[in-house]
Amino acid sequence: MSAVLGLERPQVVSHVQQALSYTVFDCKWVPRSARLMCLGSAARGTGIIQLYELHGARLEVLREIEKPKPIKCGTFGATSLQQRFLATGDFDGNLNIWNLEAPEIPVYSVKGHKEIINSIDGVGGLGIGEGAPEIVTGSRDGTVKVWDPRQKDTPVANMEPVQGESKRDCWTVAFGNAYNQEERVVCAGYDNGDIKLFDLKTMSLRWETNIKNGVCSVEFDRKDINMNKLVATSLEGKFHVFDMRTQHPTKGFASVSEKAQKSTIWQVRHLPQNRDIFMTSGGSGSLHLWKYEYPAQRSKKDSEGSEMGVAGSLSLLQNVTLSTQPISSLDWSPDKKGLCVCGAFDQTVRVLIVTKLNKI
Amino acid sequence: MGDESVPYFLGEGTTKTYQIPISHLDYKFIEKCTDVKHLEKILRVLRSGEEGCYPELTLACEKRIECLDPRSRALRKDKPAATASDFTAEEWQAINSELMSWLSEMNEDDKKSQLLRTDTPNERPDNLPPIRCSSSCPPTNQNKNLQNKQRSKKNIPRDYSEWDKFDVEKECSKIDEDCEESNSKARFFCRPSLPIIEKKIDTTGMTKREKIFIATREKEKGNEAFATGDYVEAVTYYTRSLSVIPTAAVYNNKAQAEIKLQDWDNALQDCEKVLDMEPGNIKALMRRATVHNHLQNYQAAIEDLNEVLSAEPENSMAKKSLLEIEEKLKGLKPVSEPQGKGKKILIEEIEDSESGEGREENTEERERRGGDKSCGAAAAARAAAGEPAMGNAHRKSHGKGKAQQDRDAHKHKDSAENGGKKGASKKKSEKHLSDHEGEVNGYLCSDEKSESAEAEEISTPHGEGSQSAGGGSSTSLPPAAAKLKSEGNELFKSGQFGEAVLKYSEAIEYVTGLGEQSPDDLSILYSNRAACYLKEGNCSDCIQDCNRALELQPFSLKPLLRRAMANESMERYRQAYIDYKTVLQIDSSIQAANDSANRITKTLIDQDGPSWREKLPPIPVVPAAAQLHRWDGGSLTSENKPSTTDINREEELQMNCEEAAEKFKRLKNEGNDFVKMGEYEEAANKYSECMKLNTEECTVYTNRALCYLKLYKYEEAKQDCDHVLQIEDSNIKAFYRRALAHKGLQNYQASADDFNKVLVIDPNVVEAQKELEEVTQLLHLDSSAEDGSQQAHGKKITIQEVSDPAERGEGPLAAAEGAEEAEPKAVPRRSSQKLRVSEPPNAYDFGQIINALNASKDKAACADLLTTTDPKTLPVLLSNKLEGEILLLFIQSLEHYIAGKDPGLAYQHLFYLSKAKRFKVVLALLSKNEKEEVQHLFDLLTESQSDQYSLEDLESLKKVYEL
Repeated sequence: MSAVLGLERPQVVSHVQQALSYTVFDCKWVPRSARLMCLGSAARGTGIIQLYELHGARLEVLREIEKPKPIKCGTFGATSLQQRFLATGDFDGNLNIWNLEAPEIPVYSVKGHKEIINSIDGVGGLGIGEGAPEIVTGSRDGTVKVWDPRQKDTPVANMEPVQGESKRDCWTVAFGNAYNQEERVVCAGYDNGDIKLFDLKTMSLRWETNIKNGVCSVEFDRKDINMNKLVATSLEGKFHVFDMRTQHPTKGFASVSEKAQKSTIWQVRHLPQNRDIFMTSGGSGSLHLWKYEYPAQRSKKDSEGSEMGVAGSLSLLQNVTLSTQPISSLDWSPDKKGLCVCGAFDQTVRVLIVTKLNKI
Repeated sequence: MGDESVPYFLGEGTTKTYQIPISHLDYKFIEKCTDVKHLEKILRVLRSGEEGCYPELTLACEKRIECLDPRSRALRKDKPAATASDFTAEEWQAINSELMSWLSEMNEDDKKSQLLRTDTPNERPDNLPPIRCSSSCPPTNQNKNLQNKQRSKKNIPRDYSEWDKFDVEKECSKIDEDCEESNSKARFFCRPSLPIIEKKIDTTGMTKREKIFIATREKEKGNEAFATGDYVEAVTYYTRSLSVIPTAAVYNNKAQAEIKLQDWDNALQDCEKVLDMEPGNIKALMRRATVHNHLQNYQAAIEDLNEVLSAEPENSMAKKSLLEIEEKLKGLKPVSEPQGKGKKILIEEIEDSESGEGREENTEERERRGGDKSCGAAAAARAAAGEPAMGNAHRKSHGKGKAQQDRDAHKHKDSAENGGKKGASKKKSEKHLSDHEGEVNGYLCSDEKSESAEAEEISTPHGEGSQSAGGGSSTSLPPAAAKLKSEGNELFKSGQFGEAVLKYSEAIEYVTGLGEQSPDDLSILYSNRAACYLKEGNCSDCIQDCNRALELQPFSLKPLLRRAMANESMERYRQAYIDYKTVLQIDSSIQAANDSANRITKTLIDQDGPSWREKLPPIPVVPAAAQLHRWDGGSLTSENKPSTTDINREEELQMNCEEAAEKFKRLKNEGNDFVKMGEYEEAANKYSECMKLNTEECTVYTNRALCYLKLYKYEEAKQDCDHVLQIEDSNIKAFYRRALAHKGLQNYQASADDFNKVLVIDPNVVEAQKELEEVTQLLHLDSSAEDGSQQAHGKKITIQEVSDPAERGEGPLAAAEGAEEAEPKAVPRRSSQKLRVSEPPNAYDFGQIINALNASKDKAACADLLTTTDPKTLPVLLSNKLEGEILLLFIQSLEHYIAGKDPGLAYQHLFYLSKAKRFKVVLALLSKNEKEEVQHLFDLLTESQSDQYSLEDLESLKKVYEL
C-alpha cells in the first residue's frame, strides 16, 4: 500500500549540480527565461553575480560580474517583465539595481543601511502585485526600509526601533497584501523571534508576535492577493503558518506550527503556481515539501462575537537531503511548475525538478 | 502504557535515555504497545544504537508506529534526492522531455524578446501609480491618508513605537480640522469587508507572452480562491484574467463560480460567451442548462441537454438532469402553466404545486455538496438564498422525496389499490415531514442527518416502508396494535432494532391476547420482528419468528427470505438453500435469492462433494396459487414447511460472546494482512470465518467484496455488498464495489446506478465518475440487451431497494461537478478492469505489461501473460528489468493458476526465469516469506508430475533457486 502511495507522491529530482568557486548566498530565476542568478561572496572578499543558463542537464555561465562588496540577497520583484533588473543588497548596506545587459554601473544605488542587508523583497513588478514597484530591505542595523526605484536616496518608508532601545537584527522581510493600488503590507522577522507586520497603507504596525526563536525567513503565499497565509521559519527547526485572513483584536492571527528537523530552517518558498504548497530548506542540507490544508471553516466567532481565524493542517509531501551543509537559498521558477534552484554552503547550486505537483 | 506505569523488574536495567525498561526492546512488547509516544521513544533508542544495533527490531518498531500513526514524525527519514532509478524509463523520459521542450520554448522566446527590446522603449509606460508619499494627487478618496503620509515623510526615520502609536485620525485632526472622512478607514482591525480589487489589468505595452503569463497567474489565483470556497474572490480573479486574455476555459470557470454564488444571470452570460468561442463546449452547455433550470427556462435547459446528449450520448449526468427537468415540466403544466417563467420562488407553501418542490431539490443537493466541500460555500449560497427560504427548500425536498419513494414502493401493486394507497402514503409523508421540520430548518449537518435516516428506509431490503404504509391503510389490526406496529416500524427505520422488537412484541401479545385475529397481520408482525432480529444478528430468534410467520402465512416471501438469510449466516446452508429455492419458486426474479442460492450451492458442493443434493431435505412444492400473488399475502392455503429442526439447533450458536469478539478481530486482521499481500483468496476465507462470528460488521463484508472483485467473483462480491447495504444503507464502499461487481457481471444499468449513488454520497470520488462514464458507454454498446437487463433491474428493485429519492435528487450534476479546471485533483484510478493480455512482441512491451500487472498485483492476468509467452523467450523479454516484486508475482501466478493446470509449463518458466539477468541478485534479496512461496511452488510441482521434467530436474532447479 505504502509503495503505491509512494509512487504518487511528488519526487524531488536533483537535475543539475554546479560547483562554484565562491560562497553562494542567494539564487534566483530570471523571470521569463531559463536563466538563473547566483549571488555570493568570493574568497578574497568581493561580491559575485553569476548568470547561468540551463542547457539540458548542465548550467552554462553566461556572465560573471565582480563587485567590491559581497552580495547577500537579490530580487526581481520590483522590475517589469521586459526590463528584468536585479535589485541586490550587499554586506555594506548598499541597495543596488543592475541592468544585467550593462552591469558596470548600477541603474539605482543607495547606501541604505549602516550594516549588512540581510534580506530583500520586491513587489509591483513582473505583473505581481498592484501599485507602485517597491523594494523592501531588512538589515542588521535593525531597520526595515521601503524603496521606490523612482525616488533617489531616501526610502519611502522606514521602520526602526526607538532611540535607546536595543536594535534587533532583521533577518528577513517580505511584501504581501498588494491586491490593489492602496493596500500593501511588509512583514519582517528578527533575530529575537519577533515578527512585525507593517501596514504601508495606514503606515501603522498592524500586528506583532514572537515565535521564541530567531525568524530566518517569512513569506506570504502570494503577494498580490488579499493576504491569505504567512509562513515564518525559525532557527530551531520549527515553522509557523499563519492564516492571515482573519485578525482577532487580541489574539491576532491563528497559526499552526510544525517541526521539520532539528536544524535551522533557512528559507521558505511557496510554489508560484499553487499557493498551498511550499518548500522549506534546512540547515542539515534537507528540503521539505509541504502542503497546507484548510480547515472546514476558516473563521469562527469567539465568546465576545469577534471573528477569529482557524488554522488548518500541514502534511509533508516529500523530504530529501541533498547536502551536509545548510541550504541557504531556494527559488521556484515562476514559469515552469516544479522547477526549482537551491544554493548550499557546500558551494554548490542545484537545479531540482519536483514531479507530480499537478496531482496534489 | 506510559513509562511510569510500566512495572520495573528486578535485575533489569533501563535504557540510558528515556529510562525505558530493557524488556520493552522486544518484538512482543512492540507488537502489543499502542502508545505511539512510547514507541517513538523506543525507536529513537533503537536508532541511536546505544543499546546495541537491531535492524530487524527497528524495522518492526517502525512498522508498528506506521500502523498506529502513519503521519508520525518519527517515521520521517532523511532521503536522498530521487534519481532516474526511482522512476520508470518512460516517466524519466517524460520528465526530461518536458523540461527540454520548455527550455527550447524559453530560448526561442528570449531571442524574440531581445529583438523586440530594441523596438520597445526601455522605460515602462507612464501608467505607474505615484511614488508613495509623493505629492501627485491620487485618484481615489484616499486623499487624506496620502497627505498624511506626505507629512510623515519629513519625520522619517520613524521608530516602531511611533508606528504603533500612529493614529491617522489624530494626525488628521492635527493637520486638518475636519477628519471625518478618514475615520474608520485607518483603524487597525477594521478590514474592508469586501476587498476592492481592480477588475481590470492594464496591459499596455505588454507582449503577448507577458499577457499569457499574467492571465494564467490570475486564473490560478481564481482557482485557488475557488478551491477554498471564496467564490466572490474567484470571480474577481477570473474577471481580471479575462481582461488580459479572454479564454473559454476561464469563462467556464467563472460561470461555475457564479453558479455557486447563484448569480444566474452572469453565469448565463459567461456560458454563452464560452459557447460563442467554442460552440458545443460540453461543460458550458451543462452549466447553461443548470442556469436555465434555475431560471425556470426549462425548455432552454432541455435544448442544452439535448445538445450535450447529441455530442455525448453517454453523458449520464445530462440524461439525469434531462429526465428531471422533463418531469418538472410535466408536473408544471397542469398546475401552474401561467407561472411559466416566474422568478425563483424559493418561499412557497409545502402544499403548493409539485413543480416548486422538485425544483428545490437541486438547490438542496448543491447545497449539500457545497457543504461537504467547504462550509464557506454553503454559507455564501445560504446568504444568497436567504435563510428562511433555504429552510423551506429542504423541507420541500424531503416531502417530495418521501412521497416519490412511497409511490415507487407501490408501483408494483395492483393499480386498483394504487389510488388509495398513494393517498395514504402521501399523508404519511406529510407527517414525516413535519417531524423533520425543526431539524431540517436548521443547518446543513442536521439536514444530512435527516436525509440519511430517510435513506435507511429506502434501502431497507424488504420494502419495510411500503409495508408499513400499506399496513396502515389496508389491514384490520385493532388500533392499539396498529399504533404499536407503526411505532415499531419507525424505530426500525431509525435503526433502533432492539426497541422495535419490544414494540412488535407488545403488538403481538396484544393481538394474540385478543384471540383469533386475522393471521395476515400477526404474520406481518412476526415477520417484522424477525427483520429486527436479523438486523441485530440474533439469527435463532429470527428463525423462530419466521417460522411462526410462515405457520400463519405459508409461502410469504419476506419471512422466507429472512429465514434463509438467518440460516445462511448460521451456516445451515441446507436449510438456507431450501428457503431460497422456495422463494424462487414463488418469484423467480428475486435477484438476491438467485445469487444466494448459487453461492450456497457452491458452498455445499465444497462441503459435501458432488452428491450434495442427496443430503438436502426435500424442497417444498409451492402451489401455483402462491406464485405471482406474492404481494397479496392473504388467501393462500398449503401445507407447512418442515422447520422443526431449525429451532433445535439454536443453542449451538450461543458462543461465548467475548471469545467470539476477540477471535473476530484476529481473523479480520489476518484477512487485512492477506489483502495487503495480494492474497485475496486467503483473505476472503478469513473474512468468511469472521462472518460466522458476527454478521453485523460491515467492513468485513466490504473487505470480502473487494477480495471477490480481485478474484473476478463478481456474483459473490455483489452479494456481500448487498448485505452491507442492508445493514448500512449509505456505505459508499459497498456501493462502489457493488457497482464494480455489476460491471463485471455486465449488468451495466445496475452498475451505473450504483456509481451514481456513490457520487451522491460523495461527489468527489473521481474513480466513480470515471467508472460511471465507462459503464454508461458500455451500456450503450450493449443497447440490444438493454431491454432485458432493464427489466431485470426493475424486478430487482422490488426487493432490494424500494426506490432512491437521493438519486432523483441528484439534480444537475454539472452544477455539482465542480469546476474541473479549478480542481486538478486527479485521484489515481484503480485499474479494476482486467488487463487484456496478448503475447508481447518485445522486451519493452513486455516490461510495460509487467509494470501494469505489478501495479495491480493481478495474478490471473499475469498467468495469462505467462501462458501466452514462450518460456524460452523469458530472459530476453525480461532483459535487466527483473525485480523482487515481479519475481514474486510470477511465482504466485505460477503457483495459483498454472502449476495446477500445466506443471510442465510452470517448470519451464521457472527454469528460464533462472536464466534471466539479475536473477541471482533478486533471489538473494527475497525475504523469508517469499522464499516460502517459491518452496511451495516447488512442492506443488513435485506433487503433480509431468513428462516435461523429472524429479532430478526439479531438484537441480531447486538448487538454482537456493532452496
